[in-house]
Amino acid sequence: MQTTVPDLSTITNEIWTAMFGIGVEPADDGADHARGERVVTGVVQLTGDAEGAVTVQCSDRLARRATATMFAVDVTEVSDEDLSDCIGELANMTGGNVKSALDGHNELSLPSVTVGRDYEVTVRGSRVVQRRAFDAAGDTLVVTLLTRDRA
Amino acid sequence: MRALIVDDSRATRAVLRRLLHGLSFDGIAEAGDGRQALEELSANGPADVALVDWNMPVMDGLEFVSRVRSDTANDVMRIVMVTTEADADHMVSALEAGADEYAMKPFTAAVIRDKLALLGVV
Ligand SMILES: [Mg+2]
Repeated sequence: MQTTVPDLSTITNEIWTAMFGIGVEPADDGADHARGERVVTGVVQLTGDAEGAVTVQCSDRLARRATATMFAVDVTEVSDEDLSDCIGELANMTGGNVKSALDGHNELSLPSVTVGRDYEVTVRGSRVVQRRAFDAAGDTLVVTLLTRDRA
Repeated sequence: MRALIVDDSRATRAVLRRLLHGLSFDGIAEAGDGRQALEELSANGPADVALVDWNMPVMDGLEFVSRVRSDTANDVMRIVMVTTEADADHMVSALEAGADEYAMKPFTAAVIRDKLALLGVV
């Protein structure tokens, strides 16, 4: 039961501007990362009245840029551990803001982060409710809200 | 002024540390969860202000705040929740548990500075 659909575009733009100083522009809905491109995905699960997940997927280059900004280091100094930490926190912020816009009482999981090429993120029993692709300073960013229908 | 930053994200701790450093805090301690933060308090005593995340492993921010406020030795320490938990229910619980101010993630430097100014620590 979900009467409010959060606006992923506004949430994403606010977060990226505030935390990274990077403005994001809406891209075509079908826009995606190139085959073989290294992609970093942060996921938080939602439980409660709305069951589902929020995923944030960025190209490795964009993830490194965002991480470098938060740690105030050069992109060449970003470690994989720093990268995971930053994208996990990004998923937490995105998920938290989505959760606030949903009806009812919901809890947010701690974030998890996956890095790799040509993988698909699925959340068992859930379907995509909203998917938004963005151009973030020349790199692709995809934010998705998935929810699980109650039996 | 001394500050304690409690957040499981090292990236967010790094951002807050720079921000506090720019506001002339001279002692800045960090903890990755509520339990570590309690250990820091028992080792070094209360800071002037603690910036506390909500969602953390081991011990979350709400439990940390409740425990801090159960010891009057910590009464001098002001607490600002800095969290992505933005709904009214969460805010009320945190304030009832003893937090003094509430800032949402994503935050800006100006918002954090204003919260600290309200509490008289900058
Ligand atoms: Mg956290």
